[in-house]
Amino acid sequence: MEKDLTLNQKIENLDEQVEWFYSDNFKLDEAVEKYKEAIKLAKNIEKDLNELKNEINVIAEDFSK
Amino acid sequence: MNSYSPTEFIAVVNQTLEYAYSPALVTGEVASFKINQGKWVFFDIKDEESSISCFMSVWSLRVPLEDGMKVVVSGVPKLTKWGKFSFTVENVKPVGEGSIKKAYELLKKKLTAEGLFDVSRKREIPENLVKLGVISSTDAAGYTDFIKIINARWGGMKVSVAHTQVQGMDAPDQIIRALKYFNERSDVQMIAILRGGGSADDLSCFNDEQLVREIAASKIPVITGIGHERDESLADLAADVRASTPSNVAEMLTKDRNEEKMKLMKTMNRTNQVLLQAVERASENNTGRVKRVCDGINTKYIEPMIKNNAEKIDDCLKVIKDAFDKVQNILQQRIKVLDVLNPEKVLSQGYAILSGKISPGEMIKITTAKQEIDATIKNIKER
Repeated sequence: MEKDLTLNQKIENLDEQVEWFYSDNFKLDEAVEKYKEAIKLAKNIEKDLNELKNEINVIAEDFSK
Repeated sequence: MNSYSPTEFIAVVNQTLEYAYSPALVTGEVASFKINQGKWVFFDIKDEESSISCFMSVWSLRVPLEDGMKVVVSGVPKLTKWGKFSFTVENVKPVGEGSIKKAYELLKKKLTAEGLFDVSRKREIPENLVKLGVISSTDAAGYTDFIKIINARWGGMKVSVAHTQVQGMDAPDQIIRALKYFNERSDVQMIAILRGGGSADDLSCFNDEQLVREIAASKIPVITGIGHERDESLADLAADVRASTPSNVAEMLTKDRNEEKMKLMKTMNRTNQVLLQAVERASENNTGRVKRVCDGINTKYIEPMIKNNAEKIDDCLKVIKDAFDKVQNILQQRIKVLDVLNPEKVLSQGYAILSGKISPGEMIKITTAKQEIDATIKNIKER
């Protein structure tokens, strides 16, 4: 599912995940799993930031006619 | 020698003119400008010595004209059925700084009155922009700058490019067709119209009335990056967002991946701190639980990640591992203290625990390392 998300959406998701650590819902027992998820997503975002290219496509349409 | 009727002769002359001068470009000053029945435009185009009668439809008139403006007209010379010479204009464009400025001001006033440039019409750049339409000449330096900058700054975008002219008489119609294409046949979230710097004449196509109306009517938000900071076209005013240059469009539409990487590191560092503080807080109250959490984090996540993962986030993880190790050392010291005080260890050294009411005749329980003994107190003496 993560693969279907755009880079911006992944960053938004990470922000939400990190927000939990500052919230009243924070529990140490759950923190390990949450931390694991956040690290995994952070690494995925870092990889995207390093590797993701734009697709540039010149339309095969003659706009002069 | 051929003999013609007047109709035949006019037809032959028009054929010859069309063959020889189609289309012809004539540059001169507008005189006797008028619009008849709201449909037909008549004016003369003249220089110091001569004057040509021009005719065109209102629909073909894309810029406001006034007597005294210098223009270039493209069209076909013709003899009318009354034998008078006329120039049928297909396109007219102001030339020279003064005339371009005059036409600009006239059209700006008209379209402002219609509300085409109202701030309330403006839409923002979509938050999660992935599909972008670009209208530009792929040969232009401005386009090359734009592509270079978006590729350096960001990734994962699908950019569809409509290659059009971005100066000259044909440019407005080509850009209009590209706008229609994106609006009718694509799923782009935003359209960028790009054109690098140039003279007032080069950029004057972006003051074309039909183009400006098409931009304002676009269902898809439009951003323009035309010319330089100081240049302001009517296309800019009609667009939802105006950038100063094509490079500026790239900067407005994309984040900087290096800045995002820095933010990412800061975010994870902050999260590590929050987690560490929580662990340290808990360690003061709940030794066993914290030890389990520390062990769990270290063995399941931190150590495997440090073994396998890349440098930058590893730096983060090393920080958290060091901190966890520190917490664990404290815990180990506490465990040693507890171990020394462990009642079982004391019993193994030959001591016993008495429990019950210490009073003559009372039953008490004596616990040794290996036995539990019930006994009765016979006598009590102070030491």
